[in-house]
Amino acid sequence: MSKPTRLRIAGGTVYDPANGVDGAVRDVCIEGERIVSELPRDAPRLDARDMVVMPGGVDIHSHVAGPSVNHARRLLPEEHDADAVRAPRLEDGTLARSGAGGTVPTTFTTGYRYAGLGYTTAMEAAVAPLGARHAHAELDDTPILDAGFFILLGNDDYLLRQIAAGETARARDYAAWLLGVTRGYAIKIVNPGGVAVWKGGQDGRRNVAGLDDPVGSSAVTPRKILETLAAAANALALPHPVHVHCNNLGQPGNYTTTLESMKALEGQRAHFTHLQFHSYGGERGKPWQSAARQVIEYVNAHAETSVDVGQVMFGPATTVTADSPVEQLLAASSGRKWVNVDIELESGCGIVPYTYEEKAAVAALQWAVGLELFLLAKDPWRVVLSTDHPNGGTFLSYPELIRLLMDRSYRDERLKGVNQKLLGGSALLDGLSREYTLQEIAIVTRAGPARLLGLANKGHLGPGADADVTIYTSDADRAKMFATPRYVLKSGSLVVEEGQLRRAPAGQRLAVRPQYDAAVTKDLRRFFVEYATVSFENYGAEPVT
Amino acid sequence: MTDRATEHVTCLGCGCACDDIRVVVTGGGRITETSNACALGAAWFGDGAVPTEIRVNGRAATLDQGIDKTAALLAGARRPLVYIAGDVSCETQREAVAIGDRLHAAVDSLAATAAGAVLAGQRRGRATATLGEIRQQADVIVFWGVDPGERYPRFTARYTVGPLTRAKRTVVAVDVGASHGPKDADLRVTIAAADEVDALGVMRATVGGHDVDAKKFAPAGELARRLMQARYAAIVADGEPGVSSTTIDPDRAEALVALAQALNGPTRCALSTLRAGGNRSGADAVLTWQTGFPFAVDFAEGIPRYRPAAGAHVLLAGGEVDAALVVGASATLPRSVADGLNGKPVAVVGPRASTATFRPVVAIDTGVAGIHEGGTAFRMDDVPLPLRASLDGPEAAVRVVRAIRECLGARGADE
Repeated sequence: MSKPTRLRIAGGTVYDPANGVDGAVRDVCIEGERIVSELPRDAPRLDARDMVVMPGGVDIHSHVAGPSVNHARRLLPEEHDADAVRAPRLEDGTLARSGAGGTVPTTFTTGYRYAGLGYTTAMEAAVAPLGARHAHAELDDTPILDAGFFILLGNDDYLLRQIAAGETARARDYAAWLLGVTRGYAIKIVNPGGVAVWKGGQDGRRNVAGLDDPVGSSAVTPRKILETLAAAANALALPHPVHVHCNNLGQPGNYTTTLESMKALEGQRAHFTHLQFHSYGGERGKPWQSAARQVIEYVNAHAETSVDVGQVMFGPATTVTADSPVEQLLAASSGRKWVNVDIELESGCGIVPYTYEEKAAVAALQWAVGLELFLLAKDPWRVVLSTDHPNGGTFLSYPELIRLLMDRSYRDERLKGVNQKLLGGSALLDGLSREYTLQEIAIVTRAGPARLLGLANKGHLGPGADADVTIYTSDADRAKMFATPRYVLKSGSLVVEEGQLRRAPAGQRLAVRPQYDAAVTKDLRRFFVEYATVSFENYGAEPVT
Repeated sequence: MTDRATEHVTCLGCGCACDDIRVVVTGGGRITETSNACALGAAWFGDGAVPTEIRVNGRAATLDQGIDKTAALLAGARRPLVYIAGDVSCETQREAVAIGDRLHAAVDSLAATAAGAVLAGQRRGRATATLGEIRQQADVIVFWGVDPGERYPRFTARYTVGPLTRAKRTVVAVDVGASHGPKDADLRVTIAAADEVDALGVMRATVGGHDVDAKKFAPAGELARRLMQARYAAIVADGEPGVSSTTIDPDRAEALVALAQALNGPTRCALSTLRAGGNRSGADAVLTWQTGFPFAVDFAEGIPRYRPAAGAHVLLAGGEVDAALVVGASATLPRSVADGLNGKPVAVVGPRASTATFRPVVAIDTGVAGIHEGGTAFRMDDVPLPLRASLDGPEAAVRVVRAIRECLGARGADE
């Protein structure tokens, strides 16, 4: 056995909020794949004087792997043609893999580009359990990133049956079994009940409108689905609580649904995702307006509630979501091409390419709402930076977003250039003066999401942490600074140096395997025989011999 | 000697990928039973016997010699082609695409047979469902110029008979020219082959609220109105070319997508596109996630380029290709590709490689994915399924293709 590699990152300005380090000049020591407290004086050094040192970035919500993402890739050959990527040559002289970018990059390119931004962990936010085996195969081809995925459960036929029958314990056992068999990480709820109604129809409805709408049985409502799954996630002591995409995404006036959903889970841990898309006032047929303040004030007052923003960035995007009824509306209003895939017994998938234009009133409102949420948030540990990649914009726009948060004059300048029509009620227009500090950026891009995901070895630089470290050259232009880290280390290995990929090791898979009462599998076998088209034994993503 | 049974085996005989097959192998190492399999599936499994040869220039060789020769053949080529044929796992396909990337080769696969449907989906999108959802939801099922009984024997039994009983379900057969729907349909509509695209256009117009006043399209208009009254309509069409044609009419494929999308307004609708077997849908998925394009990918410029109009058969016919690697069963190659490979320096790694009719320079027999080796395959609706080995076989394709990739990597690092 050779000795583990040692490295002292010497003299950098360290931002490690989880350990209370806020811009202190100190060394960070690495031995093998971990951070250690000290190294011998003669250990190899990396000179980081005048540089900013942070833990590797952690993306809590991104769409990077699995059936829906691949449907989106297949839909976008023109984007891939326009952004083809040559195979990078690695430090050892070998060629890595070529690929393509655009809003939905190929797997290898996804890994390289995330690493190029200093991100070393990402969570794929929506995988139908039926596609779990596919998602794992893509993550196997997504280098560098430690990654896991959330499984879609909010419209699951078996789950809804258990709720209808009042079988709460069995619902919990089912969720636990499903997480294990799919090698998933957390429970995702997308438009609870709404996708089931979209697929199955009920009284001519195509979606649910509110938390107490019936879904099939009158005993099943979005509220019951939220309550059942949030309680299950917490009872199972999952590292990440239930991850909720609320009903009525993108609809004017939807902030009331969002607040109701949060209140339904008051007192329990729950994460509400891409909050920007759920914080609109107004009503259908009337002007939209921002309701960011109402929503974030609730979050500020509730320590058990966490969110990510889902910021909209101007430019091309691709909307890809399990919330398929929303995509029908977007396809109709935008006239763009549209994919809908109904996924048996489980979920849906909708895809529409989209462009957010500064001159478009709604896009400008969305942009402003996201920034308001960031700037009015009191506790950065519970308000994570995301664009819901690639829905609000791609992860490549994070540096620009960081600049908007850190640089008020730049933000005000950009604000002048956007359509003002719907910004009347926006706090942004009143002149929010807040500027994020580097420490706050370190919280919303790494320390916070790592803590919310329950990743004890991520998002910090204390002894025992994974040696995922990003080192930036300080620059007053924060977009420039965050777009091209000077060095990125993953598990102690130098993977990126000044924008050049040096190594592309495989990442680790993040998965949970909670305990459950095995009686549920007996019932499930019966259910599979009756309803499923895949054998019970072939379902999920366990290796098969 | 005792019999050994493997349960829940996935069959790649067609795109249905039925995963409920019970395979019984005798002590002598022959498959004697494939319970639940249809005739097509039983023929795909056969008795499990495959040749186990490794040949270089027609003479017996070692595996290392076969791998070295393949690598040399490919590394020396100016315009290499990697073709992914049938009966290999996604794991093997991933290695094959990696070789194409490394060599700056053209890469194509069996998935190109359904190019018409894929291209239509890229222009317009899709309105579709996984097969179980059709079984679960559809109260009207239209078989558009196809009787799945012929090439997809268990499709109807597995994917359209579900909790909604046949009594509540209306099956419509649309006979398009000589391509007929199922005989036992509840309703029948006949369309002349030449009128097919126009008829689909009329149906879409009808769904959009426009009455088309043309007597010859009255049945199509009537069918559209019937579909609008459905709770959930499914349209099943064949994505593979027919016996008489080698390509799918792109306008037809696009008109089908457009109709299915338009029906998602007045009602719900899914278009199900039938795809053939051998894990060709897996090749489509793997190429898409690794390169951004589902078939006909050309790495010649050192980046993936999409050349849907210049796939393998076109490059071969044009005489451009000077060496090829076929990964998969050569017997599954489209005629145009097999003909084009004739007389070219070709290495074949796959089931029954040594029996390839075009006399490859290198032939390395491997097991059949799903019979002799495991891995992952995709059903025609992109649902991933595990493959199970029920029988020992020759060298695993994934190991051979990986070894070739590693050999090329070691060779060409300083290129």
